[in-house]
Amino acid sequence: MQDVNVVVVFYSRTGSTERLALAAAVGAVQGRALIRLRRLPDSADEATIESSPGWKANRARMNKEFVAPREADALWADAIVMGTPDGGDMLSTEFKRYFESLEALRGQGKLEGKIGAAFTQGSSTGPLYEAIGGLGLITVPAIPNSNIKEAARLQGRAVAEAARSRRAAVAAV
Amino acid sequence: MITIRPSDDRGKADHGWLNSRQTFSFANYHDPAHMGFRALRVINEDRIAPGKGFGAHAHRDMEIITYVLEGSLSHKDSMGENHVIVPNTIQAMSAGTGIVHSEFNPSEDQTVHLLQVWIEPAMEDVEPSYQQISFAPAEKRGQLRLLAGPHANGNGASAVIHQDARVFASELRVGEALSYPLAPGRFGYMQVARGNVLLNGQKLGEGDGAAISEERELSLAGAAPDGAEFLLFDLA
Repeated sequence: MQDVNVVVVFYSRTGSTERLALAAAVGAVQGRALIRLRRLPDSADEATIESSPGWKANRARMNKEFVAPREADALWADAIVMGTPDGGDMLSTEFKRYFESLEALRGQGKLEGKIGAAFTQGSSTGPLYEAIGGLGLITVPAIPNSNIKEAARLQGRAVAEAARSRRAAVAAV
Repeated sequence: MITIRPSDDRGKADHGWLNSRQTFSFANYHDPAHMGFRALRVINEDRIAPGKGFGAHAHRDMEIITYVLEGSLSHKDSMGENHVIVPNTIQAMSAGTGIVHSEFNPSEDQTVHLLQVWIEPAMEDVEPSYQQISFAPAEKRGQLRLLAGPHANGNGASAVIHQDARVFASELRVGEALSYPLAPGRFGYMQVARGNVLLNGQKLGEGDGAAISEERELSLAGAAPDGAEFLLFDLA
């Protein structure tokens, strides 16, 4: 079976979205993908983070466990799965910055044929999917489940399978 | 037949924070002549600097046994397991359908020295699981202490793995000896963690390994004043 590559890019302050990202990554591994997990850097100022003990401690821990996404990750990936704690109607600053970096790659035609998907522990993945669509990525929708961790796992798996189908379709041409 | 793999012939990786010696091909070390032995796929001897380690990464369809020789190692995974392991502890993880985990040296000043073993499972897609069992140092002194095998043993004294393989740890000092019968058709592998030990009269030094086939009886004797510690594998 051909390897497919899935990068899970997430932002997390205290570890809740990190857990969903792990679940999405496990789902992708279940779908026999190779995975990378990448955490977006904080955009908040130092004083704000320092004033929140949970945020500060988890940031220190997560900065050891995850590196920030690099251009090479997006180039490597067949699919990019994004997770945000902020599921409102706006794209968070962290993701705005990430999309700026992806936009540069899109301009060079380097994202063509790649897949995008999003999950959140907030209310809506709307802004993320809109931005993913704006990049011209092929979207794999969220999979509804009353358990958001399970939903993330199922989605990771669906993304890996979609990436594999896509690879097979391209190879057949 | 006993084929010795001298310590210095192993693969080597020195990343500053990580010093690794690899018995079989792993990461950037690739040697088609050393891809594994029977179901044994990886034996890495790692030294990880304080505060450093392996960030979140995935495994699938692999039995992973970690045995700390000195220092401590923290482990966190997608099953929610979060532990620190120390010497005389068996950590066995069945990756099965897929897990993501990270491993770090939680110490501020002590290097962790460990052996990590990967054994290919007999079946794919098993439910991921984590086992951690501590034992008294005396249980491996002058005898073979079973770390992992295919069957539940006693009161959960050893880990259960999805392969017809047994992994033992032992510590032998000068004057201490033991023997182990290998059933017909079985294979053995031995990896010395520290000190010197005699295997059927052949001397194995620190870091040396030995692939064993067509032998019926293994005689092991301590050959270092400070003792020797090693892992022994009984493989199909």
